[in-house]
Amino acid sequence: MAGRERIAVTGLGLVTSLGFDRERSFSRLCAGERGIGEVSLFDPSGLKSRIAAEVRGLDVRAIAPRGEAEDWSRSDALSFIAAREALAQAAHGFGAPLGLALGGTTGGMYETERALSAVLPGRIHPQDARRLLDFPLAVTVERVARALGNVGPTATVCSACSSGAVAIALGASWLLSGRASRVLAGGVDGLCQLTFTGFSALGAVDPEPSRPFDAGRAGLTLGEGAGCLVLELESSARSRGVPIIAFLSGWSVASEAHHVTHPEPSGTRAARVLSDAMAVAGLSTSDIDYVNAHGTGTVQNDAMEARALERVFGADVSRVWVSSSKAQIGHTLGAAGAIEAAITALSVSRGQLPPTAGLERPEAPALRHVRAPNQSAGLRAALSSSFGFGGACAVLAFEAPGAELRVSSRKLTAELVITGAASYGPAGVLSGAASARYLAESAVLPAQLPEPLSLLDPERSRRFSRASAIVVATAEGALRDAQHEAAETGFVVGSAFGDVDRSVRFLQKVLDQGPKFASPAEFPQLIASTGSGNASIYLGLTGPCLSVSEFGTSGQSAVSVAISLLELGQASALLAGAAEARDSIVDEVLGSDGSRGEGGGFVLIEDLPAALARGSVPLASIAEHHALRGAPGPVFAALPPPPGRACIVAGFLPLALASVLAKSPWRDVRLYSLPVTLGQHEAIGATALAVAVAEVASGGVEQALVITADVNLVYLTRLCRYETRP
Amino acid sequence: MDQTELKSRIKRALLEELDLRGRTEADIDDGAPLFGEGLGLDSLDALQLAMAIEERFGVSVPEGESSRAIFASVNAIAEHITRTKAG
Repeated sequence: MAGRERIAVTGLGLVTSLGFDRERSFSRLCAGERGIGEVSLFDPSGLKSRIAAEVRGLDVRAIAPRGEAEDWSRSDALSFIAAREALAQAAHGFGAPLGLALGGTTGGMYETERALSAVLPGRIHPQDARRLLDFPLAVTVERVARALGNVGPTATVCSACSSGAVAIALGASWLLSGRASRVLAGGVDGLCQLTFTGFSALGAVDPEPSRPFDAGRAGLTLGEGAGCLVLELESSARSRGVPIIAFLSGWSVASEAHHVTHPEPSGTRAARVLSDAMAVAGLSTSDIDYVNAHGTGTVQNDAMEARALERVFGADVSRVWVSSSKAQIGHTLGAAGAIEAAITALSVSRGQLPPTAGLERPEAPALRHVRAPNQSAGLRAALSSSFGFGGACAVLAFEAPGAELRVSSRKLTAELVITGAASYGPAGVLSGAASARYLAESAVLPAQLPEPLSLLDPERSRRFSRASAIVVATAEGALRDAQHEAAETGFVVGSAFGDVDRSVRFLQKVLDQGPKFASPAEFPQLIASTGSGNASIYLGLTGPCLSVSEFGTSGQSAVSVAISLLELGQASALLAGAAEARDSIVDEVLGSDGSRGEGGGFVLIEDLPAALARGSVPLASIAEHHALRGAPGPVFAALPPPPGRACIVAGFLPLALASVLAKSPWRDVRLYSLPVTLGQHEAIGATALAVAVAEVASGGVEQALVITADVNLVYLTRLCRYETRP
Repeated sequence: MDQTELKSRIKRALLEELDLRGRTEADIDDGAPLFGEGLGLDSLDALQLAMAIEERFGVSVPEGESSRAIFASVNAIAEHITRTKAG
């Protein structure tokens, strides 16, 4: 069974400020070189720091496929270079089946800023607005997928500075559950003014190159780049005769639920995540020889991380090598978790240790810092840590290719149920079966809705946007409906564009008044994982919390990713869904005909044995769930015949898909199309899921199909009434 | 600008910049501590406040420990603005 097999790393690709490829990046890294210099992409004057770890000489046009050169962002190009290199090493033939999971935070923000700088202050005209929406976070996966061919499943995840590591954990899940036979997983982030001015406003940047773990450290140095790993089951690598670089043997994703920018100072949660990743791998602290730390160079992160390492390793901490790569390649934010995972895999594979550059006076002398360049050591196993904004933690464990097979504590989940649901629409937050009213012929809706922010505690929801308020209020409704504790629960939220209005306001102020007026408190609310970070902190969710981006199917993609993380045993319960709020720029571009609405839905998806153990009666069972790229016909045709009472709830159903449905056994089943009554938006599919769960739970139907599609993507979820088993 | 008007503007800045929803100027005592026990503000709020004071009053706030004393209360902020403008 796949679930028991080891995951082999068979390809690595790296683009960093030290080089456009793996060998150059790694050898210069091990030699202690620093790829940091004055920023050339934009004018850094007026900022506390003028330096960054830029990838110099990136020629986007030379990388993009013919005909797409104008459309590609620097992030697209960076990720494609790393992807190509990793796939070549893994001897992956273009066109062979491949899952693709990328993490990131900035996407095409640099290009969006260029478009914005051409816009005059004041009202944004429609043609300008369109250019501001040209680079949603998910577009990179779409471009890379198109360039590679035959890619699926796909996902774009954002959990701030742990994004790249989370994408790799997701890839592991796809392999173990059989959703993919080979996966390209990684992270990418290009430099942009948003992050550059934002971190500067937070006082988190060092004017000099960063000095992780040094007593005199004064902040981080931003960087950019991409890292990609090719992952496949050991049996696949062996049968193909592809060399195994390392094993990805452990993973853990969780949240601190503490503060949007400050790490939890004791390092308790970080320590737990480190331990959990080792437990998944069946490794004990005595097996670990090296930790590639998050080590940003900020006072708070490094102190927290040193405490966490001391807590986990105890007396052994003086034996385990530790280094941070960020003093040489910068903090690459959403890419860091993947770039540093690739570095860690290379380290255990080759027994080479990259040093921490700039470390002169270690603050935590108990730690065994790698300080000399080109140091080698026999490494059996190593950890790569990522700790991001909003308390988003992820740790990956790698073992040397010759590692013996060990008994891991991996737990794979097979049967999932929905134990709580809530929707947000014209009737406000509706929990459980109440959302079924949206399927009634003439739903009576209140004339005036409460402002979403008024549903939350004002002190704990300061700076939440309207979208964040809807997300948190709806998720809270689903959690309450499930009568589930918040602790250990995770959260996966779909978001297509983020808060465009607010990001534009932040950037326009920077462009008009200068970077010194970049708002420090606004900046953390502008990254793609704001919704999940806010929800984690507000609701006290300490499981995996992340955002997922995928155009019109963002809500469905969040549900898919949540299911994969549950299958991977990363939590026993996850809130999944999405919500969209009115946004003047998005409405200008996509809703000029008045068809747009706002709202969304959340469900609590739970491992069945865990739900039963706490005495929950599930609202519905997830009988099947598919994320399809390409021809959906076979999956629809293979659906079991519908029971006597059934319905189909559609988020968005394109005509082409309606004709596929017409050839399926469900052709005569009553179909409800939600955008007709609730308006179109990117979270409508999440509303559809909450409404379908409500209809099943209320006993209106025995089964429901939930369908939402976009240009290349079709999501299909079949829900069944939960039957108590003898 | 007289002190009453200045303090009122400072309070408006606090309410808007720190998103203190559900509170009014009347809820903020001139001499009450803003951070920690007071309004429950943190270092992220301090950064935002420093930027806002420069933007709204044209007065910069030094970084680090000395900003702690300036942000002690509305009175202290008013004093800093008045003193800096006079100097």
